[in-house]
Amino acid sequence: MIKNKFFIIFSFFLFQTFLTNIGAVEPDEVLKNNAQELRARNISKNIRCMVCQNQSIDESEAPLAKDLRILIRNKIKSGKDDKEIYNFLTSRYGDFILLQPAFKLNTFALWLLPVFFLLIGVYVIFRQNKLFKRKS
Amino acid sequence: MKNHLLKIPFIFFSIILLIFFYLLIIERNPTDIPSALLNKKVQQFETSSLFNSQKFNSSQEFDNNVVLVNFFASWCKPCRDEHKFIKKISEKKNLKIIGINYKDNPKKAIEWLEKLGNPYSNVAIDRNGEIAIDWGVYGIPETFIVDAKGIIKFRHVGPITKKIYKKINLLIDEVKQ
Repeated sequence: MIKNKFFIIFSFFLFQTFLTNIGAVEPDEVLKNNAQELRARNISKNIRCMVCQNQSIDESEAPLAKDLRILIRNKIKSGKDDKEIYNFLTSRYGDFILLQPAFKLNTFALWLLPVFFLLIGVYVIFRQNKLFKRKS
Repeated sequence: MKNHLLKIPFIFFSIILLIFFYLLIIERNPTDIPSALLNKKVQQFETSSLFNSQKFNSSQEFDNNVVLVNFFASWCKPCRDEHKFIKKISEKKNLKIIGINYKDNPKKAIEWLEKLGNPYSNVAIDRNGEIAIDWGVYGIPETFIVDAKGIIKFRHVGPITKKIYKKINLLIDEVKQ
């Protein structure tokens, strides 16, 4: 019985893992060259679907996401490198289209503030601990 | 010293709360993304025109004119809703209006314009959505105001409402000066 339960739970998590790898890419979109297709998938995973906004274009079934996936593949086929493709997309849709924003002058607070807050937290806990120990 | 330290996280937390509260109460649409193309030159493109067999060449169409560009389709319900405002702009303002027919059946688009009226001086066909991507469009209808130098001065995502219509009118006058 316990074994059975374990098997069901294990299967559920295994299924979940597969689900996260399922994209919205349709068979007719897939490039014949595996290396190029892998590049396209990697770029697509970091491009926000401007319609759904909380999904990448790799996962989204919105028509615009499909258009962007095709555009990325066409650019890869025509010999453009990843940087050129990212530059094209951000020049049209802004940095918002990147799911992982670049480290820039106007985004450094976004990247560094969490670390800053964490350090303050650690400092406060450390000081409190020291004071508490001294008192007791 | 002890009380002082304990205040720090509380102050930071309050600041973050205040920022969130401010963003909640101000009038803004979080799904509305500012165009990356504002104050930049329009993207040049060549395609076919909806009404005639001639090519649609954007460099000729945007030449030294203030232009209102409207992405629309006959299958798009909000486009139908905003159409009366586009017509009003074409009647009241001495302005060139260019339509970009997005992923549509040309036959249906022509029928649609014959039925509702055609405010456009020319309509470009964007068969596969490439022109829209080049303009950073993500949800039609979308409307742009381009000045006489070919610079994008305004962009609106979604249908033109009464409020947006008034704003566009003011902006057209401003851009024309």
